[in-house]
Amino acid sequence: MIYDYLIIGAGLGGLSAGLNLVSKNKKTVILEKNSLPGGMTTTFKRGRFEFDTSLYDIYDYGTKDNIGTFQKLLKRFDLNLDTTVIPFNALVLDNENFNFEVKGNFEDFIFNIENVKKGSLPGLKEFIKITKEVHEALRIIENNQEPNEEEYPNFYKYLDKTTLDTLKDLKIPLVSIYILSYTWVDLGINLSKLNFIDFAEYIYKLIFKKDVILNTKSLSFTLKLVKKYQSGGGKIYYNSEVVNVTKKDNLFLVKTKDNLEYKAKNIIGDIFKRYFFKDLYTLEMKDVNKLENARSLSPNGIIVFLGLNKSCEELGLKNYKYYHYNTLNSDACIKTMNDLYHDTYEVVVPNVYNKEASPKNTTIVILKKTYYGDALNALDKTNYETLKTDIAQDLITKFENHFNIDIEEYIEEIEIATPLTILKYSGSVNGSLYGYSKKGYDASIHRLISYESEQIEGISFVGSSSVFGSNADNSFHSGIYVTDKLLNKGGSKNE
Amino acid sequence: MNKIEALKNERQNIIKEYSNKKIPDTYLDKLSKSINNIQYVKIKEIIEETKDTKSFILTPDEEKSTYKLEPFKAGQYISLKMFIDDAYVTRAYSLSSSPKKSLNEYRITIKRVENGLVSNIMLDEVKVGDGLTISKPIGGFGYNKIRDEKNVIAIAGGSGITPFMSMAYAIYDGIDDYNLTIIYSVRTEADIIFKKEIETLNKKCKKVNILVTLTREEKEGYLTGHITKSMIEPYIKEFNTIFMCGPKEIYKTMNEILAEFNIPKKSVHFENFSIEYTPNMIETYDLKVILKNDFIITKCKSDETLLVSMEKAGIKAPSMCRVGTCGYCRSILLDGKIKMVGSSLKKAEAENDYFHPCVAYPESDIVIRLDI
Repeated sequence: MIYDYLIIGAGLGGLSAGLNLVSKNKKTVILEKNSLPGGMTTTFKRGRFEFDTSLYDIYDYGTKDNIGTFQKLLKRFDLNLDTTVIPFNALVLDNENFNFEVKGNFEDFIFNIENVKKGSLPGLKEFIKITKEVHEALRIIENNQEPNEEEYPNFYKYLDKTTLDTLKDLKIPLVSIYILSYTWVDLGINLSKLNFIDFAEYIYKLIFKKDVILNTKSLSFTLKLVKKYQSGGGKIYYNSEVVNVTKKDNLFLVKTKDNLEYKAKNIIGDIFKRYFFKDLYTLEMKDVNKLENARSLSPNGIIVFLGLNKSCEELGLKNYKYYHYNTLNSDACIKTMNDLYHDTYEVVVPNVYNKEASPKNTTIVILKKTYYGDALNALDKTNYETLKTDIAQDLITKFENHFNIDIEEYIEEIEIATPLTILKYSGSVNGSLYGYSKKGYDASIHRLISYESEQIEGISFVGSSSVFGSNADNSFHSGIYVTDKLLNKGGSKNE
Repeated sequence: MNKIEALKNERQNIIKEYSNKKIPDTYLDKLSKSINNIQYVKIKEIIEETKDTKSFILTPDEEKSTYKLEPFKAGQYISLKMFIDDAYVTRAYSLSSSPKKSLNEYRITIKRVENGLVSNIMLDEVKVGDGLTISKPIGGFGYNKIRDEKNVIAIAGGSGITPFMSMAYAIYDGIDDYNLTIIYSVRTEADIIFKKEIETLNKKCKKVNILVTLTREEKEGYLTGHITKSMIEPYIKEFNTIFMCGPKEIYKTMNEILAEFNIPKKSVHFENFSIEYTPNMIETYDLKVILKNDFIITKCKSDETLLVSMEKAGIKAPSMCRVGTCGYCRSILLDGKIKMVGSSLKKAEAENDYFHPCVAYPESDIVIRLDI
C-alpha cells in the first residue's frame, strides 16, 4: 500500500490535514505515538476528575451569526463544536498593588481602561479599527495575493513594528497599554518583542469573534474529528511512534517503533520541524537546519492541575481567570521570570462557565507558571518529584495569599506537568508551551509570507510549530491551509 | 521593492547567516530521552519472607545496557513483563524498597497466587542472576506533600503491605516528612511479611509506627482480629489522610469505619489491588483481535479478562496496572458485549467504544481493534 499522504501526529493540525485530504479522496494515514488523538488537546483522568489540558479559550470560532475561521473550516466537513460564548472575566494583580477586574464584553473593557486613565479612548478606538484592517490584509495574503497599500495603509505601516511601539504611536498611555495587553503572558512574548500584527490579530479574534469554551471535554471533539476522518476512508494508527524516515525513488519510507514500515508519496509532519530533521529524517537536507538554528524557543512552564472537593461558589472562586504579575510591564516582568519561585502566574477555573467541568460540588483549578530562560533545567531525574512539588506548593501558596482564597485544604487530586510531561505527550520543542518564539523575523506574518519559499519537496509541516503559531484555531487552520496548497499545486487560489 | 518582499528578504538574510549543522539536543531533550520506559534488571537476591511470599532484589542489568534504574516515588509500582511458553504476560508489583536506593536497587515482593501464572514461576523457578524485563515505575498511589495531611494512617491487608514499606523507608531516609501509622492485617504470625524490618523501623524511626493484627490467632505483641474502629481510634487526629491497600473486603469495612470518623472522601486513597468478578456461567466465545496489519482469531472465556485471553494467544497487548486505572491497555470494541469491572474510562472514550481489556469480561463473541 502506497499512501498519497502520511501524517505524523494526530494533533489538531494533523487531524484537519487528514480530514481535508480524505475529503479529496487522497489515500491518507495518520501515525500517532500516543494511544489517543489530540496532541496538546487532550484530557487525563485522576480519580473522579477529568482534566482538559487546553481549550480554556477558543479563539476565532465565533457564534452562530458571526462565524469565525475555525468554525468555517469545521463546517467544510459538517463538523462543529459544542460551545458557550464567555465574557471577559479576570482578576489581575501585580506586586506594585496595581489591580483591576476585567468583566463584560470588550467595550466594557475599553471603557474601564478609559476610567483608569482618561484620554485613552481615541487611541484604543483607532487600534480596534486597525485590528480589522490587519485581519483583512492577512486573509488576502493567505490567498496568495497582496493587500493594496492604499487600502491597507496601517497594515503596511505597522507590519514590522512591535506591539509596544505601535500602541505608543497610537498615543495610548503606557498604563492603558499594560491593561489592554494583560494577557501577554498567554502569547509567550513581551510587548517590546511581540510583532504588532500578531497582537492585532489576537485582539481582533477576541473582539469580533468572541472567546468561546467547549461544553464538553476536548477528547469528545478530537474523537469526533477522528470518526469523520475514518468515515472518509482515512486510516489512523495509534501507538505508532515514527522513528525513521527516508526517501527512495521518490517514495518516503517511514518506520515506526513497532517495526512496521509505511510508504507514502508525501509526508506531513504534525510535529516540530526541528525534531523531524534532527531525529527522524536520515537524508541530508540543504539549509534546512539553518532556520532551526536561527530560531529561539518560547517559554516552558509548570502547570498544576487541582481537583478540589468544593464548588467554586463555596470556595469564593468567582473569576474565570486570575493573573498575577511581578509587574504589569511585560518587559520588566519577563526579566523576573527565570527564577524557579518567581511570582508571575495565571489561573483558570473552568467550572465558572462550565458546570460539567467536574462532578457536582467540586472544582478544577489550573495554575500555570512560565519561565523565560533555562530555570527548569534545574530538574533532573533524582530531584524531579521534589522540585516540581516544591514549585507547585509555592505557586498554590502564592495564589492563596495574593487573591485571599483558600484552596489547599480542599485538594483531592493534584497533578503537576513539567516540560518533560509536555515533551513526552505533545512533542513540543524543548517542552515549551507555545513552540517557537514569535520573536523578530519569526512572527506569524513572517512565517506566512515566507511559506512558499521555505517549502521542502514532499515534506510539509502543520500544527502549532508551523505557519500560524500556537492555539487550537491556528493549529487546525494550519492543517487546512497547508493541504489546500498541496491539493492546489499549480493553481493559485482555493475555493 | 514592497514592504512584504523586504520583510521576507530580511528573514532570509538572517536565517542564511546561521549554521546548517544539526541542532544538538537541549538539556531537557536529553533528560527526556534518558528516561527508560523499559528497564532490564537482574535478580541480585531472593529473600524468603513467609512460606508463600518472596522478595526479589533487582539491580540494573548492565549487559543489556541498563546502568541505572529510574527513580521512583514511594507507593509506585512496576510492570513485570514475561514470555511464558507462547504467552506474553505482565504483572504489576508495588516497589517495597526505599526510594533512596532507587537508582541502584528495587525490591518487589510477590505472594503466591493459587494457579497464578506468574507468581508460581517467580516463586519456584526464577533464581539469583536471572534477568527480568520491567517497566519504569508508574502510578499515583502514595503520599503527596501538598494534598495530604501530616497524620497518615495506612491500612494494609496481606501483600498490600508492600507500598507502605516503601513509604515508611521514605520517611526513615528523610525523603518524606509525616507521621505514618500502618495497621497491617494478616492471618497468623507466620504470615507477616517483613517481620524483622517492621521491628527495626518501629525501633529506629519515631515517625513510623507499624501495628500488626492477626486475624486467625492470638499472640502477645500483636493486635487480634479484623481491623475495627477502636483499633484505629487512638491514631486519628484532627486532620488525617488514609491509605488502603489490600483485598476488597478491607476497603468495605474501612469505608464504614471512616464514615464514623467523618473523614472526607478526598482524604482517603486506595490502591486498586485486584479485580474480583465471577460470571454466572463459564462460557467460551470467539475473540477476533484486529491489529495494525493483521488479525488474530482466538477464544475467550467469560471468567477471564480479555487481556488475559489475548496474552494467552501470544498477542503483545499493552498493559500496566491490570485493574482498570492507568488506561494503558485502552482498545476499541468493534463488536460484542462485555462486562467491565471498575474501569476508569473517560466519558468520551466510553461513547466512542473504547474499553479497558484488563477489566473486561466477554459476554458474547468479541471483535476488538488493538493498535499494536
